Amino acid sequence: MWGSSGMGDLLGSFPESVRVRTKHAEKSCEDAAQVARVTSDVVQGSSGKERMVARTVDLRSDTVTKPTEAMRIAMANAEVDDDVLGNDPTAFLLETEMAKKMGKEAALFVPSGTMGNLICVLVHCDVRGSEVILGDNCHIYIYENGGVSTIGGVHPRSVKNNEDGTMDIDSIEAAIRNPSGELLYPTTRLICLENSHANSGGRCLSVEYTDRVGELAKKHGLKLHIDGARIFNASVALGVPPDRLVQAADSVSVCLSKGIGAPVGSVIVGSKIFIAKARRLRKTLGGGMRQIGVLCAAALVALEENVGKLESDHRKTRLFADGLNEIKGLKVNAGSVETNIIFIDIEEGTRSRVEKICNYLEERGVYLLQENSSRLRVVLHHQVSASDVQYALSCFKMKPAFVTCCRQLLREYKMKRATSERI
Amino acid sequence: MVSRIVDLRSDTVTKPTEAMRAAMVSAEVDDDILGRDPSCFRLESEMAKILGKEDALFVPSGTMANLISVLVHCDVRGSEVILGDNSHIHIYENGGIATIGGVHPRTVKNNEDGTMDIDLIQAAIRDPKGELVYPTTRLICLENTHGNSGGRCLSVEYTDRVGQVATKHGLKLHIDGARIFNASVALGVPVYRLVQAADSVSVCLSKGLGAPVGSVIVGSNSFITKARRLRKTLGGGMRQVGILCAAARVALQENVGKLESDHKKAKLLADGLNEIQGLRVDTSSVETNIINVEIKEGSPTTSSKLCKDLENYGILLLAGSSSRLRIVLHHQISADDVQYALSCFELKLSLLNAACCSKLSRTHSIRSCEKIYYIYGDLNL
Repeated sequence: MWGSSGMGDLLGSFPESVRVRTKHAEKSCEDAAQVARVTSDVVQGSSGKERMVARTVDLRSDTVTKPTEAMRIAMANAEVDDDVLGNDPTAFLLETEMAKKMGKEAALFVPSGTMGNLICVLVHCDVRGSEVILGDNCHIYIYENGGVSTIGGVHPRSVKNNEDGTMDIDSIEAAIRNPSGELLYPTTRLICLENSHANSGGRCLSVEYTDRVGELAKKHGLKLHIDGARIFNASVALGVPPDRLVQAADSVSVCLSKGIGAPVGSVIVGSKIFIAKARRLRKTLGGGMRQIGVLCAAALVALEENVGKLESDHRKTRLFADGLNEIKGLKVNAGSVETNIIFIDIEEGTRSRVEKICNYLEERGVYLLQENSSRLRVVLHHQVSASDVQYALSCFKMKPAFVTCCRQLLREYKMKRATSERI
Repeated sequence: MVSRIVDLRSDTVTKPTEAMRAAMVSAEVDDDILGRDPSCFRLESEMAKILGKEDALFVPSGTMANLISVLVHCDVRGSEVILGDNSHIHIYENGGIATIGGVHPRTVKNNEDGTMDIDLIQAAIRDPKGELVYPTTRLICLENTHGNSGGRCLSVEYTDRVGQVATKHGLKLHIDGARIFNASVALGVPVYRLVQAADSVSVCLSKGLGAPVGSVIVGSNSFITKARRLRKTLGGGMRQVGILCAAARVALQENVGKLESDHKKAKLLADGLNEIQGLRVDTSSVETNIINVEIKEGSPTTSSKLCKDLENYGILLLAGSSSRLRIVLHHQISADDVQYALSCFELKLSLLNAACCSKLSRTHSIRSCEKIYYIYGDLNL
């Protein structure tokens, strides 16, 4: 693909040292290309031209997981009823099981994690003039359209998120409004944590840290909500049962449509009173669905089948991260890869460079998300196999090393040329 | 206790059919947030076409469909919406447009047929000159069929007239078309023509059409773009939602054609109920699949008591006020179910009337007993 012969002609005019290093880069690219060829299907298009049909490795998010055969069968056979007029029996089963798993009194199925968090914040902060303390880099604050405010009228007080997803306990405490200033202040009612913390790269909040924040909340008469979209990932990575991990929380929102692999939905857990209010607000927001057992049946299968696969997702992620770190031009903070998310920093990155890399990978069927002008994000899930990981790595290997090498060499050569000419 | 259940509480109780379940199993899906779920895209394209609008959006419920529509039309703070004082949005949606959306409702009296007088709508539109003290009217909402009036249909002429009023005053028109297909079938007007004057329509798939979940909003491209974003904000953005959309497409295919039959059954039941001593039904107002049953004054029972009694026979209904019951028919209620329900009503009312010790009533009630026993077997009375 790189047309090594063509490149060789061009390089013929370069000094020996340049040619040697280029050949080295070419060799590793050839190896990578061979891996890519072996793992891709090359088919004849109708026009007679060869079309490379690479496999698809979707690393954009764990939300892309598609329902499995078992889930589809469960959906087809689900016992259903009107969950607004009464109780859908399958939804009831799912909610009962989730409450138990999380060690809370009751649970409520909702269409999305965004609604899960929105409902929780709004129920805890149902009095006008409320304030919620949350991380300045948390999902609720950054990626939920500011809904807690624009929809719920709740004021956010953000506290700096550390690189590991925590907020300093002192900073949280300092952000709690002093009631004696109430003439000017909103009233702090809630603290929100996020576990695992996505924007930190899927970092886990320890049970000790969570408990400490819980104690702080209690001390000041506040509630604690955990955005536990990926709480099962955290639980598996930390080796702490989920109910223990969230023990200090008054409510938790748990995603079923991410690594757990269900097609749709999240579940909120909390006390009976809390969930009763949540159910009503869910209706108000428009999340009251009828024969919802169809989706809940899939979620029940997902819980059974896929929690056990999370450990393997984490292992593959670590392998991938280690592999990426060895590629010149890429940098991964391997120590921060605790679950299924990797942030890849492009050294000397520019927007166009990062975009080119993304496009290049996309042409080869590898999809990921661009975080900013020098950062990519990769998320693994159970429908990405070890072989997919190898393929993706090989695709990464081909572009950056060669480009970095070539560009660098070209730069050096030009400089040398310029210097020698001057002389 | 009888094992036979005839659920007349609402057309939302419809369960997914075999064909729907099969469609759900084989539905082609993808992440509808990161990209587009193909089955969802197909449903939305189809619905936009059927309703004659540019684009469509699948949402979890009719409540969210109305909430989104009102909030998108009224996205500037200080907005007011004109709607019926007996409309679903005003009565049964938790006041969400206000409590969640900050939109002020201005109610206008709903007539018995579900309409609002055009004069009254016009009078309710705020004069911009008074803006220092007034909110700004931005939207008029209609509901077709009108639930609380007993499923009455708004004609295409009426809808067009309201549309003209809206246009004249620079307002938008939204139709809560939860049961718009029922209206279309009853009026014999294609659904796109019925809603032509509207800027947006919300259509329920989970009611008479029988899909397990969901509604669809239709409107212009720019409207739906804003709606999609607000849907995400409210938390209605679902991932592999094609599963539900596949069932909904089957529902559209299979069940629009059955609505006429639902209306016929409703009429039969209404006529039958009207002949029962102690009950009254305004049969001329039964236009679609909803029947409001009045318990006559002086009756020995109330609506909640009657509901409870009939539950013992497996008949499920909703009590409105203390003297009113509501019955909603749908495609999973057979003609036989209708006969059974009618017989149970007859029997129960006869027994109650027989407490007056009238010979005639006793004979009538015995006859009813015999009829029911003969057809349906032993009932634990």
